[in-house]
Amino acid sequence: MTLSLLLVLTGSLGLACGWWLIFMYAPVEAVMGPIQKIFYIHLPLSWWALISFFAVFAASVAFLVKRDSKWDRLAQAAAEVGVLLTTLCLVTGILWGRKSWGVWWTWDPRLSTALVMWFVYMAYLLLNGLAMSPHRRMMVRAVVGIAAFADVPLVFLSARMWRSIHPAVFASEGGGLEPEMKVTAIFCVAVTGLLWLGLVLLRRQQLADQARLDDLLYAARERETEESEPAFRK
Amino acid sequence: MLKLALAVFRKDLRLALRGAGLVQSMLLGLLLVFLFSLSQKTGETVPGQTAAAIFWLSSAFSQTLVFNMLFSFEEANGARTGLLLSPCPVTGIFLGKAMAGLVLILAAQLLFFPAVIVFLGQSPVGDAAGGAVMLVLGDLGLVALGSLLGALSQGQTARESLLSLLVFPLLAPLLLAAIRVFAALFGDAGENSLSWLQFAAAFDAIFWALSLLLFRFVYTGDD
Repeated sequence: MTLSLLLVLTGSLGLACGWWLIFMYAPVEAVMGPIQKIFYIHLPLSWWALISFFAVFAASVAFLVKRDSKWDRLAQAAAEVGVLLTTLCLVTGILWGRKSWGVWWTWDPRLSTALVMWFVYMAYLLLNGLAMSPHRRMMVRAVVGIAAFADVPLVFLSARMWRSIHPAVFASEGGGLEPEMKVTAIFCVAVTGLLWLGLVLLRRQQLADQARLDDLLYAARERETEESEPAFRK
Repeated sequence: MLKLALAVFRKDLRLALRGAGLVQSMLLGLLLVFLFSLSQKTGETVPGQTAAAIFWLSSAFSQTLVFNMLFSFEEANGARTGLLLSPCPVTGIFLGKAMAGLVLILAAQLLFFPAVIVFLGQSPVGDAAGGAVMLVLGDLGLVALGSLLGALSQGQTARESLLSLLVFPLLAPLLLAAIRVFAALFGDAGENSLSWLQFAAAFDAIFWALSLLLFRFVYTGDD
């Protein structure tokens, strides 16, 4: 609990410093102008969203192997934070794309992968509302968590075969970033990572508390019925 | 396991042909093709890619209906428990459902294909062999995901929409491949069908392997 709170606090403070770096330290990009500064927010969001979904996958596998509900709660927490980050990532990306490509949306590998992931993991979160036994719901969630992540590389590959205009900032050789820009970007990725880890741990703790409260409530009810109808029970 | 699969396959096919489920999914697809013909202006022809997209969307919709139907058979009278108690691997049920679904979807597509030609003014001038291979590969992918995730909808009220919400985004890469190859079939030039066929085969391999591994966790006696 304290660790997650600490992580969230340092992450938030770091993010505030990151914003100072973005607007005061990093130079304005020559061609795109100030709109390029969205990149420092957009890039960490997309990376950590992908890592969340990988965490969902890993935790789902661990759940199917170990059958311990703590892995299910980790997967759920990571999925929730991942969907949040993907939403923000899509919004920032759309705004940036409008300014620099002239279109709100285009069928591009990264864009469509992000959107498809958003759809899949939104559906994953909806599984929560299914009326089934908690154990079976965990199983279903784990299976969907695995199938969903298997789809990510396929979506990316297929969309790249379709067509692509998204810049690969870090992958491209030579071009890329000014040193100040690179420092800002890496700093933003790091502090967003701290915030991400804090949020996931905090949410996992909440889910664990919720499960424990449910158990206690159930036990209390059991005891009540036992006390009120002892003859019926025996 | 294969014996169980064949038994489930025969039973499901017989039940599907008896009820109204198959007709319902065929009609929905047909209706989609017809309504999409509204997108063409009088005297204009629909591009091959649009026609291909409409064909595969109809197929995807009929897939969710077909698998909802196939998995609802076992919900009456606790038949699922009986099926699970049979001394065979659960994966046999997956195979049986997948085979039945494949036959039903192919039957529906037998109707959609001429419908696309009639309502959307297409002519299949392109690579027919590639189209036929794509049809099989596309349907194999549709039934793998349908048969794996169709089990989710057991006993759910909002099941149709949830199944399609889960399956459609997962199918996106396969639909992309299928649409590109069918666009070539309908005469759109400059398509590299072979690499798309390879991609579809890879998709099928991954999801068939996953489904064979994971089905036993989804299809259980729990409610």
